[in-house]
Amino acid sequence: MITTGIDVGAKNIKVVIQEDGKLLGKGQATSGLDTASDIKQAMDAALAEAGLTRDKVEKTYATGAGRKEVKEVDDSYTEVGADAAGAVHLFPGTRTVIDIGAEEGRAIKVDENGKVVDFAINERCAAGAGAFTEAMARALEVPLTELGPLSLTSSKAVPMNAQCAVFAESEVVSLIHQKTEKRDIARAVHDAMSSRITSMARRVGVEPSVCLIGGVAKNPGFVDSLQRDLEMEILIPDDPDFVGAFGAALLAAGIAK
Amino acid sequence: MIEMFQEWYDNRHEYAKHWKAKTGGKVLGYFCTYVPEEICYAAGVLPVRILGSHESQDVTEPHIFAMYCPFCRDCLAQGLAGRFDYLDGITIAQSCLHIRQAYTSWDLHIPVEWSYYLPMPHNVQSPRAVPYLVEELKSFKKSMEEWTGKKITDDDLRRGIEIVNRDRQLMKQVYELRKREEPPLSGLESMYMVVSSQTTDKQEHARIVEDSLKELENRTLGRPVGQRLMILGSEDDDHEFVQMVESCGSTFVIDDHCTGTRYFWDQVSLDGGDPLTAIATRYVNRVPCPTKDWPVRTRLPHILDLAREWDASGAVILQQKFCDPHELDIPAIKSALEEQGLITLFLELDVTVPIGQFKTRVEAFLEIMQEEDLF
Amino acid sequence: MAKYKTAPLKSWQKAKEIRENYYRDYEAAREKGGLRWAGGAWTFDAIPSGLGDDVYPITSEPYGATIAFQKDFSDRCLEAAERAGYARDLCAYMRNYWGSILLDEYGWVEPGEERKPFPKPDFVWQDHICCSHAKWYQVVSDLEGGIPMFCIDVGVGPYEKTTKHGVDYVVGQMQDGIDWLEKTTGRKYDDEKLIQAVYNTCRATSTWAEICMLNQNIPAPLEEKTMYSLYVLGTLHKSSPEVADFYEELKAEVEDRVANGIAAVENEQTRVMTDTQPPWGFLRVFRYMAEKYGCVSVGSLYTFALIGNWIWKDGQFVPRPTPQSLGVKIKDRDQALRVLTEWELSKPEWQHFYHPKYKSEMMIQIAKDWKLDGVMLHYNRGCEGLSLGIAENRLAILDAGFPVMVFEGNMGDEREFDEARTMGRIDSFMESLSVPKLV
Repeated sequence: MITTGIDVGAKNIKVVIQEDGKLLGKGQATSGLDTASDIKQAMDAALAEAGLTRDKVEKTYATGAGRKEVKEVDDSYTEVGADAAGAVHLFPGTRTVIDIGAEEGRAIKVDENGKVVDFAINERCAAGAGAFTEAMARALEVPLTELGPLSLTSSKAVPMNAQCAVFAESEVVSLIHQKTEKRDIARAVHDAMSSRITSMARRVGVEPSVCLIGGVAKNPGFVDSLQRDLEMEILIPDDPDFVGAFGAALLAAGIAK
Repeated sequence: MIEMFQEWYDNRHEYAKHWKAKTGGKVLGYFCTYVPEEICYAAGVLPVRILGSHESQDVTEPHIFAMYCPFCRDCLAQGLAGRFDYLDGITIAQSCLHIRQAYTSWDLHIPVEWSYYLPMPHNVQSPRAVPYLVEELKSFKKSMEEWTGKKITDDDLRRGIEIVNRDRQLMKQVYELRKREEPPLSGLESMYMVVSSQTTDKQEHARIVEDSLKELENRTLGRPVGQRLMILGSEDDDHEFVQMVESCGSTFVIDDHCTGTRYFWDQVSLDGGDPLTAIATRYVNRVPCPTKDWPVRTRLPHILDLAREWDASGAVILQQKFCDPHELDIPAIKSALEEQGLITLFLELDVTVPIGQFKTRVEAFLEIMQEEDLF
Repeated sequence: MAKYKTAPLKSWQKAKEIRENYYRDYEAAREKGGLRWAGGAWTFDAIPSGLGDDVYPITSEPYGATIAFQKDFSDRCLEAAERAGYARDLCAYMRNYWGSILLDEYGWVEPGEERKPFPKPDFVWQDHICCSHAKWYQVVSDLEGGIPMFCIDVGVGPYEKTTKHGVDYVVGQMQDGIDWLEKTTGRKYDDEKLIQAVYNTCRATSTWAEICMLNQNIPAPLEEKTMYSLYVLGTLHKSSPEVADFYEELKAEVEDRVANGIAAVENEQTRVMTDTQPPWGFLRVFRYMAEKYGCVSVGSLYTFALIGNWIWKDGQFVPRPTPQSLGVKIKDRDQALRVLTEWELSKPEWQHFYHPKYKSEMMIQIAKDWKLDGVMLHYNRGCEGLSLGIAENRLAILDAGFPVMVFEGNMGDEREFDEARTMGRIDSFMESLSVPKLV
């Protein structure tokens, strides 16, 4: 069965088309004011990549914080349910899913059947979400995509004292003034964020395998910090930011439960 | 001599492990300065205060909700990290809810031989408090006897009282020297002295305090004293912060912290009476933690006296973030100090403090004080 | 077609009237030559009853919640308290209450009337178990220009370890307190009124527990949102005959609902409990759960036992039988104070102050006996006393095999509650419990 998953996130809309558990196409658009037209844009891109027309799609499920804004869907699942479905399908041994989006981070614990048994979501705090690395990259005057590779070249742990994103930004500025090397500051930023995420993940109990998804999973500097904190290897799928949409599509097909 | 205190503070875990190896005795971790250390000394047990490490950590979130103070979370993190693996027992005297959670989570997750919750009364201004505490101290003593397998006699208690009193009295003499126009030691050195007395054998500590007194007789800081400041508020062993303030042209000359004067100011008066009654009376009448300072705020005139006698012209009021008992006193303390002519700066402590940003605020505060001096 | 019959609660109107009269009487006390006093919901309100029948209390937690309900007024109160230097993380009830003193505006408004000035109490009568209970009233006294206050420390350890000297300590303070009341008010103390008030306290708090027991039934005759407006009477004046009588009437009605299979949630298909005070301005969350998921919150240790009194008996968590039902006849002041002390020290909501294990045990027992599918813990930034140990409770409940959801918020400061995210979290939780959506 060909199905579609639409993930309406805080910053981006992601669409995945799948058949029998295989990803056929994906599309993305920035969440703007006109959600319907943004969804269509992402959907068209996914259909084009899959080489399909809309009528071939048998079922559509929505997920994400803005899932209620999606019209013409068969059902919807929360981010927690969709994330777990997607991650467990990609890596069947997954017991802990960590998803870090633009404005929210969450940790999900699943049992051996892939069923959600517990979850934690970071509370009202930008220091544990993608927006944090963006703000810090701005303060460092480094493109976001370079922040990760830059921090990997650091071999020095500089503690970040600020516990909050607002203070962290001015702390980065004062570290720059103190002539701390940019690469060391970049690592400090990732270490601080990783510590936040680890703290949250420990609430549900971190059991291997851990699968990291969401846009921040594409940042190798953060991944390095997180592996160090959790003291284990972390599984990262290709296209980690599409896993929620993929999960919704799998749920629509009845492949995941 | 005086450098010894910092060395002890920095290496407090090694000290306790070494003490244990040397004496074969038991080490007891305690969470609040209302724990009657006299009884521990009487039992031959070494009481050490459980303190944090001022490093960011990610292990306490499953155990303590983040709205409780950073100090209690930092303390628990030390236990979960195994840094106190040498403890044979833990105890707490009832005070605030925050630190209590460090104790109860420790009790649940970190096994020790002996764990004791002492219901220290809150209503210390009631005549009913001493008789109640005497009974509780009897139970505490009995439980400790069962744990150590050793009877604690009245003579043991008197010896315990003498050991703790002597260290208190010597530290108070050091504090007297800070009244001088040129205090012979900094606020940082003083902090190390008091905090290290919470984590070392007080007999050994008292010897070094005694030697330091001689050394301090003719010592000066070797730098201008600058503004004379008082520091007050919740638990504070944030040496990095204290050092920063003193490096900006000021000296702390007096404090009201449970890592400072509140800890050692009052002696047990033993006039041949019952030692447990004497101990209970001391803890009920000591300079209180704000959580026990009601209905009258007795700490307020005490703080004003300290500021006057030590001639402080400004006060840094610090509080562990989320510390409700202090938050409920600070508006009253702040306005009373200001009425007495002091300039105040209020700051919140977290596990780690952003030194750079705090420095800007401290410099501005000291600048205001200087301007006041001109007029 | 709904699964069960449902009907509105008949007693609800009566509960509303008692509450209205309470705030009205407090305000009007002086006109009739009476006295006004302030204290917390847990204070021994039976004791000032000995001063006469014209002595009216205002308990500050429910008063703070009343303000939190009026969002615009609450915002002004909270801001006023902050401007006066009181930290944002302090008890949200108190910040509302202090704000109303600072603004000099009463949180109780008669329909169609202007807001009146805040009625200043004559004295403060409080107890202390949370590390800031007595401190709240130092601030009240500061703000009101010095009101005499008396506070009783009840922190004598968990009930299962009650000692004679612990009871003596509390009773001793009470006796000093009665002397103080006589001196402060210039009135003569009537022990007979005290004795009746002690009987009423036991009757009201035990009967409320019996009502909560009835919620073990499927379908549940009550849901938590309604229970809030009923249990609150005990927080206002648990020693008054009106409250004790009301709970007896209510119990009869709830028994009747059970007998007739009347449900609080017509499509009940999943049962949960919460913990700590709810975010008062957002009780519609409960309606959302009921309508979308047929999810009924049957209560919480908070609604059952903040005021209700319970004990453990043969491994069960049961309403505590009143002394009068056990044949105890109170003869004098000392005995009355001892009975009252011993009664209140077993209050379930006082036990976790010593260790979270006591609360975990009770919550797990409730989860079993009230047949719950899950637990929703409100990590309440507004109350350090009831959020105390909540993270350890969560671990213990999970360990006992019950799914737990956590949501952060604040009972009295709406700026700390994110409604949309909380709804999202409930969706995820219901999904993980495999609860079918009704709409």
